[in-house]
Amino acid sequence: MTYREALRLALREELARDERVFVMGEEVGVFDGAYKVTAGLLDEFGPDRVRDTPISEEGFVGAGVGAAMLGERPVVEIMTLNFLLVAMDQVVNHAAKIGAMFGGQVRCPLVIRTPNGAGNQLTAQHSQSFDQYFAHVPGLKVVAPATPADAKGLLKSAIRDDDPVLVLENLRIYTEKGEVPLDPEHLTPIGRARVARQGRDLTIVAHSYAVVRALAVAEKLARERGLEAEVIDLRSLRPLDMETVAASVAKTNRALCVEEGWPTYGVTAELAARVQHACFDDLDAPVERLGMAEVPLPYAKSLETAALPNEARLERAALATLELVPA
Amino acid sequence: MPRLSDSMEEGTVVRWLVADGERVAKGEPLVEIETDKATMTYEADADGLVRHVAREGDTLPIGAVIAHLLLEGETATAPDGTQAQPASRQAERGEDRPTTLPAAVLAAAPERGREAGVRLKASPVARRIAAEHGLDLAALSGSGRDGRIVKADVEAALAARAQPGAEAAAAAAPGNGGSAEAGPSPAAPAPQTTGGNTAPSPAPTPPQPAAAKGEVTLTELTRLQQVVARRMAESRATVPAFTVEASADMEAVIALRERLKELPGVTPSLNDFVLKACALALREQPKVNGAYRDGRFELYGRVNIGVAVAAEDALVVPTVFDADRKSIGQIAREARALAERVRAGTITPPELSGGTFTVSNLGMYGIRSFEAVINPPQAAILAVGAVEQRPAVRDGRIVARHLVDLRLSCDHRILYGAEAAEFLARVVRLLESPLALAL
Repeated sequence: MTYREALRLALREELARDERVFVMGEEVGVFDGAYKVTAGLLDEFGPDRVRDTPISEEGFVGAGVGAAMLGERPVVEIMTLNFLLVAMDQVVNHAAKIGAMFGGQVRCPLVIRTPNGAGNQLTAQHSQSFDQYFAHVPGLKVVAPATPADAKGLLKSAIRDDDPVLVLENLRIYTEKGEVPLDPEHLTPIGRARVARQGRDLTIVAHSYAVVRALAVAEKLARERGLEAEVIDLRSLRPLDMETVAASVAKTNRALCVEEGWPTYGVTAELAARVQHACFDDLDAPVERLGMAEVPLPYAKSLETAALPNEARLERAALATLELVPA
Repeated sequence: MPRLSDSMEEGTVVRWLVADGERVAKGEPLVEIETDKATMTYEADADGLVRHVAREGDTLPIGAVIAHLLLEGETATAPDGTQAQPASRQAERGEDRPTTLPAAVLAAAPERGREAGVRLKASPVARRIAAEHGLDLAALSGSGRDGRIVKADVEAALAARAQPGAEAAAAAAPGNGGSAEAGPSPAAPAPQTTGGNTAPSPAPTPPQPAAAKGEVTLTELTRLQQVVARRMAESRATVPAFTVEASADMEAVIALRERLKELPGVTPSLNDFVLKACALALREQPKVNGAYRDGRFELYGRVNIGVAVAAEDALVVPTVFDADRKSIGQIAREARALAERVRAGTITPPELSGGTFTVSNLGMYGIRSFEAVINPPQAAILAVGAVEQRPAVRDGRIVARHLVDLRLSCDHRILYGAEAAEFLARVVRLLESPLALAL
């Protein structure tokens, strides 16, 4: 099953399981969704449960916040993460704060799901992975599945969570295939990282599409150099499972943190800070970081590829972390 | 840590001569520092109250703060252990600070660190494992970036230590210069059960075949020994050396020496005659008094002969400067004084550097002939054996003569066979007709 199908299955199961759950967003109904995640759901559950919205992110995210406060379980689709900037106030100033400001008497069980990522020549405004903008905010939960199984498991956990959860999907993983548990009660817990690959020489910490890259590079390193990189798939950015990361770094003594977005003040910055604190006496080398080049993403394919934390850059960063090539 | 010799990169605080918290006056002996060449006494730069930063036995790079000298009215910083911090913070801000040793050097002081100035580069995990096993990181060299000691280096050292028979060595290993009754050191091994490390535990090992060598005692090298080891290996690895050998008839020198004994003052030894002969021959053959360096010949204007002297656990080569311009008596007095100071440990780095040629003599042990290792970058070294009576052929008859074997080791990059032979033959001629030496 593809990542896209796994998301659809999660939506279908939760729509069937809980009548408070409904889906809304731009073109999620008649058009089956910009990326076809919601394909068929309108026919199956009807226009009350699968609602097309105007092109007005602030408006329909706000509507989602209101519905959630009143006890519904809205799942709001944003076409891509880039457009969530328009609704920033609703996310940061409202969804994230309601639980605390109402002393827990009112909660906001809102799910926003949206793909991040680059690589399709959608250029600077439509290729971003500013995941940390949201992971920065207390009161929000942010998950970023990298596999079909976790796409289903995390989306279902998000829908059942009583707090607002941002589910970061990824454009390039939509077509990735993988085993997906069919048990409707199988959930992936929020806040728990996954050891995606066992290794002893180096820990690569990643989330979302960077996990796919990291696994490919790890296999290459094993094949060509006999180096065994352990790959940690964070799955959740907030809360962040440092226990799993620290256990891995304690074993390998070296950490490379990778993200698809800009690393300055980014997810890897947070990771590096936490790793050096949690693992200070376990480190054999400085924590290394890799992310996208600090530029608005170019359109030209060659430049786009060069700017992203592609496999060649990732491999080099891994070798640098192992001090096998200059930093 | 002051720079006390040209080649010094780091120094070891051997002994504080003024206790922590005591006052010292400018010019008074403050601390003994071992450099790569010698142990020297360093004197206070100014009057003041001494606050130790480095401990005895600490090895620190040049520029590291070893102590603070507090002037009148200045208050001491925090008690022992953290004093380095406030001072270096001041240094970073460039504020006025207590007079330090030497003042100019404070800017380069280590920025922080619990170990009061030690900026040994080691990764945290390397430090932790070393501490758990009581391993002295200062004894390791690092394979990580910028020479950082990493986990693999520590594990290799532990594996080496875990070789059979090494228990005694392990017990002796921690610290260089730590006293025996110091009790558990800060680096005392943590309980072995923690952490689940794979490092070998010092659990009782069954008798191993390699115990055939008996108990192994490991000794850390002194700085001097480290230098000798490094330079000798460098010499053998990089210098294409060849030797030429000749015997000299020393009867004339011996007769001359008997005459000189009648004069007051120091009587030159046979080796002093060899030094003088070399000095004159070196003046005549500049390439022997030179060096091959970076693809060029360096020929030196002064003839400075190093005299290899065996010191306690070390090999020291003090220099007789301008030996070609000194009388045999002057050479004799200087060589004797230098050897005395080597044995007394009061030799200073300037007296150990600047050599352009070396003479090594093992004759006193009855060694007839040996080959010396070139002291790079010098072009040659002369190995002098024992002067002894041996059969020699004179006028077709075998007679007993006092002979000495001379063996010259040469760097073939600067000296070729004929030149080496010419030089050695000249030395032999000077020894056999020693009047020129007596001048």
